[in-house]
Amino acid sequence: MSLIFRLAGRQACNQFLKNEKTGLLNFIRPVTLQAKPAQPPVKEGHDERNMRLKRPQSPHLTIYAPQLTSMLSISHRATGMVLGAYAVGLGMGALVFPDDIPCWVEALECYNPALLTSVKFMLSFPLTYHFWNGIRHLIWDTGKFLTIKEVYLTGYAMLALAISTSIALTVM
Amino acid sequence: MALSLIFKNSARTQVLSKLPANLLKVKPVNTRVFSQLLNNANTTKGSLVSVVSKNVIAKRVMSGDHSKLWPIEKGVAIALLGVVPATFLMPNVILDDVFAVMVVMHAHWGFEACAVDYIRPIIFGAAIPKISLGIIYVISALTLGGLIYYNHHSAGIGKTIRRIWELEPKQTAKN
Repeated sequence: MSLIFRLAGRQACNQFLKNEKTGLLNFIRPVTLQAKPAQPPVKEGHDERNMRLKRPQSPHLTIYAPQLTSMLSISHRATGMVLGAYAVGLGMGALVFPDDIPCWVEALECYNPALLTSVKFMLSFPLTYHFWNGIRHLIWDTGKFLTIKEVYLTGYAMLALAISTSIALTVM
Repeated sequence: MALSLIFKNSARTQVLSKLPANLLKVKPVNTRVFSQLLNNANTTKGSLVSVVSKNVIAKRVMSGDHSKLWPIEKGVAIALLGVVPATFLMPNVILDDVFAVMVVMHAHWGFEACAVDYIRPIIFGAAIPKISLGIIYVISALTLGGLIYYNHHSAGIGKTIRRIWELEPKQTAKN
């Protein structure tokens, strides 16, 4: 009985291996399973992982063409930083010379009117830009206007609104 | 039963061997690609094989849990849309203080996000990113203190900005 099995098996196997030309045999992998106690996950930050793998810093901004989407995004941050710098400047100034700031404001009258106009524009443009684009970002956060077409449309609309309101505030 | 199966199978393979060879060999198969696919399928699906073979599971932590702070950040941003124009339109101490607290919070989160995004350990090393975050906390605290002090002991934020728009240039430079 065992002889029959062995002979039949050998023949079947030989035939199978001989005709194995499809590469399907490569799918067969001997797998050994071993039970081990669960290891706690290793906490590794994004940067630590990239440093360990010796990856370069990404993104490489130099290889990207400037697009409206990325430019509006970075200028939203830039105007936010400018407004933050105004707040920090006023706060720090108030700590050092709290009573001089109103006098400096009054002194703006005595110089060339172009200075006052440029001060108004430098105050109002970052504010109007960050204000209108901030609304755009908040609408995105609700999941609306996220197609590329809508992103470009709202981008141009926001830009027009920000520039016009800033000019209106400057000449006011 | 088993015997008959074996015989049947062996007969089948023999039949296959008699078929023209090009029937099975449809095209040259790159076996490496197949095994590669198999490996990829194992790792991407996180099957038992891959989990067992890696004795240490690395969990990638992009940032801390931000789910509780996020609604507060958005709430402050929405509130500022009303608070900022109101402070400039009708300056008073309460609005000035609300303006100061909310603007400092909003600016602090903005500066913090910029520091986390741009002052990366991969470029600046381990220490500088942490130091810069600490500096941002100090700057925010000093700014808040300065603005509150200015609101209560000097002109106040709203009146100061409003005054810039009320100025009339004297045109003395020409004369």
